[in-house]
This record gives sequence, structure tokens and C-alpha cells, in this order.
Amino acid sequence: MLSHEQNDRLTQTGPGTPLGRLFRSYWIPALLSEELPEPDCPPVRVTLLSERMIAFRDSDGRLGLLDEFCAHRGVSLWFGRNEDCGLRCSYHGWKYDVTGQCVDMPNEPEHSAFAKKVRLKSYPLAERGGVLWTYMGPPANEPPLPEYEFATVPASHSFISKRVQECNWLQAMEGGIDSSHVSFLHRSELKTDPLFKGTRGNRYNLSDTRPVFEVVESPGGLYIGARRNAEHGHYYWRITQWVMPSYTMIPPRGGHPIHGHFWIPIDDENCWTWSFDYHPTRALTDGEVAAMRDGKGIHVRYVPGTYRPLANKDNDYLMDRVAQREGRSYSGIEGFAMQDASLQESMGPIVDRTKETLVSTDSGIIMARQRLLRAVRALEESGTTPPGVDRVHQRVRSASVLLPPDQSYHDAAREALIAYPGVEPATV
Amino acid sequence: MQFRIEAQPPTERVVRTINLDTASEREVAELVTNTADADLVVMIVSAGTDAHAAAVIGEACSARRVMTHTAIVRAEHATGEALSRTLAQVRPWSLMIVVPMKTTTWTIF
Repeated sequence: MLSHEQNDRLTQTGPGTPLGRLFRSYWIPALLSEELPEPDCPPVRVTLLSERMIAFRDSDGRLGLLDEFCAHRGVSLWFGRNEDCGLRCSYHGWKYDVTGQCVDMPNEPEHSAFAKKVRLKSYPLAERGGVLWTYMGPPANEPPLPEYEFATVPASHSFISKRVQECNWLQAMEGGIDSSHVSFLHRSELKTDPLFKGTRGNRYNLSDTRPVFEVVESPGGLYIGARRNAEHGHYYWRITQWVMPSYTMIPPRGGHPIHGHFWIPIDDENCWTWSFDYHPTRALTDGEVAAMRDGKGIHVRYVPGTYRPLANKDNDYLMDRVAQREGRSYSGIEGFAMQDASLQESMGPIVDRTKETLVSTDSGIIMARQRLLRAVRALEESGTTPPGVDRVHQRVRSASVLLPPDQSYHDAAREALIAYPGVEPATV
Repeated sequence: MQFRIEAQPPTERVVRTINLDTASEREVAELVTNTADADLVVMIVSAGTDAHAAAVIGEACSARRVMTHTAIVRAEHATGEALSRTLAQVRPWSLMIVVPMKTTTWTIF
């Protein structure tokens, strides 16, 4: 459990907040590339870390992420005209380039130079791996572009989606490192989901429902190992990666693609859940991509025209009590993603961590909070660059392996936990 | 290295803690006696240290259905072989293991 003050520190990410400063140390995913598909396409509203912004791709294909509101009268530039290398406000025609510089002020006298003095706040927006990434911190501290493996493999090897999650980022992210819920909440999907079923590892999962956890600090975050009994006295290890501040990788199953998440605060009561699937050494099959588009695995189906899940809190997540009673679904909600999101959203917009009752299997969550608090303090007190900014910390993989009983998994599986381009993942 | 329980949990529970690096046989015996009313036993041991007492404590906890939790500290100073040796001793008796690295304060709850 946390004190009120600690809970506030870990859940508030707006400008000027300690954790907001930490998040502003990283490149974070802002949009899917598909949201700005071509030059002069419609602009998109983006809220990140409680800052309202507008994103657009100009006539030359350059990307911009600006304060959403025109410097003149505060009108939203979402209504603007994306034309001739700039975004023009629909109210009085003020026009901004991708850096936020006002380049035209047509309601001022013809020879006025005032436009040169007007500039909106802007952040860099860079395309990598089907994602548009932004860095919202001080320009002098801008790190190199991210190198998470899913964003560096060929486009044919990956599938990325995002969905709105209606709760604070931390309770969503904590679900990603809470391995003990899988044996309960997701047990039926292990047998039926096309992106999970049919692997040898699942047999161990389903035959040993009381895994033992070992949590080890890694350079960028944590390794969270779940150990189950296998044949010949060996252990089946599933090793989750958490890289600060909010990147998690689920251990792979057989030949299925590897998957994982990013949890990025929209504001303090909503976040984006980014979900990626990729394979380091092969293209995804048509069948896999079709399943992902259909909301299988860790992805969802959407309310048409939005990134809001079709099953959401307004329709009780399409709860199926019959399926729950008959054992076809543990919670009655369909699919990994909404099984998680429904329960995390049910905690309220920001869960009160002064009232929780944590137990030993929550050690991953406890250690993650401590690492975040330490990094926030180090950044505040001495400007220390937090873990996870270094690209070496980002070049990691989750793994599932069989090991003899006396070995430390992070030692024995050391190479398997590093993303080497073109090398097969360690998976059972 | 410091250890603390961050704040009193809302559900009262009895946590017994022992440092296996320094515990005497008498302290181990006392802990075994006191596991009867415990909800959780936390064992702390340095990587590479002989942790044979974990078996005595773990057996008592297992018989009384008490949760066991082990923290292996100073792992950053130990070889992989030394860490594995300690892991082999504590794993059969620990339902949860954490290995903090370069940590000055480790919070239990």
C-alpha cells in the first residue's frame, strides 16, 4: 500500500508534477502512423500527460505536434485547414508550421511582421515502426529515438493497436506486471485464443496453477519470473520484462508472436493502452493479422471510427453471465484486453492505494512502485536520467524457458532476455 | 540496506522477519515457534551465504500453511554461481523471492 502523498506522486503526470517530469524524459507513443496517413490529411487531436495538442502532417510530409489552441483567440486548431505546409485556423486564418511558428496572419496589415513573434508550444513527432513518437521534455535532454524491438523490425513483422482505457495509467500498467492473475482471469483464453493456444508452455500453465514468483531488478526496470513445474525436475519459467516507465513484454508462447504493452497517460483519469505483437524473425501470417484485427489476443474490436473498445463501461463490457456460470469465461468478459481493462476501470479513475491489501505475489507491483519513486526523487534532486531512457535498456525481450532447478533465471537466460536482431526468441 | 513496512496495512497481519546471514540457532528456533501466529515469514539472506536455516523455517511454515517470502540481497556483488547456490537453498521453501539490486530501501508492503 502507499500513502496518499505517494499515490499522488505516482498517478499525476500533468505539467510540473514530479512523475510528469519523469515521463517527459522519454520518447512516448503519441499516435499510430495510420492516423496521419498522408500529407495534408485532417489533423488529429492528441491529449498526452494532460496537455491538449493537435498533430498534423504537412504538405511535405513533415510531422507537427502543437498546442491545440490558436494563439489568437484560443480556438481549437482541429477545425483548421491543413494546407500549403501549415495548419491554418478556421477562425481568422492564422497559420502555423510544424514547429508551431506562426507563418501567416491574414487579418493583420499586409506588411506586418507580428507573425514572427507568435509561436505555439510544439514537440517533436517522429515516425518509427508504425508509431508516431513524441518527446515532451526539455530539448537539450532529448534522447535518441526509441529502440524497442517491436518498433525496429520490418513492418510486415509487427502489428500495433491502441485503445482508450478509462482509468489512471498506473493501475492499468500494474496489471501488466501482475502475473498471478493470468491463471484465473485469462484461463479460458489460453485454450481458445488463436494467438495463444496450442503451445507446450500452456500445458505447464494449466497443470500448475500455483506459480512461484521471483522478481529481479534489471538495468531498465524489472524481470518478473513465474516458475512452474515441468518434466524431469526442471522448471518452466515465464519471464516478463518491465522497462521504465510503462513498457511491458509478456513472455512468448511457442511460435506465436511476442506481445506487450505501453501505458501512456492521457490525463490523470485516462490512458492509452498500446498493444503490440511482433515476431523477430518472420512476417506475421495473414491469419495472425486477421485475428489481431478481429480483436483477438491482446487487441480489441472498436466502436466504429474510434479507438474506444466496443465492449466498454457503458455496456458493462458486454458481460456474459451464462459464459461465466458455465465456465467458458472466468469473468464473463470476452478477450484478454477487456478482461483486464474492465477490472482495472472498475477500481475507479484513480485507485486509492491507501486501502489495498497487498500480498507476496504482488512483489512485482511493489518493486515497480519503489523504482518509480526512486527515479522520480533522483530526477528531482540531482537531475539523474531515469532507467529506460538508455536504448540498451529498451533492447530487451521477454522469454519462456525450461531450466534446471538450481539456476538463477536471469543468469541462465541472460542472452534470451536481450533483443538481438534476427535471433529467434526463447520460447516454449 | 534498510527494510521497512511502508505503512500499517488496513488488514492487520503478523509478519515475522529473520536475517539468515546473522541468525543464531536460538533465533531460528524462536522463529519456528512463533510461526504459529504469523501470516507471513520474511527471510533475508545475502547472495552466496549459506541459507540452510531456510529449510527449517520453511518446513515449519509449510506445516502451518504460513506464506514465506525471501529477499536475496547484495546480489550485485555476487557471482551467478553464488546466487544460484543460495537460490537452490531457499527456492523449495519460498513462495515468493525478490532480488533487489543496488537498493538502499526495500519495501515489503
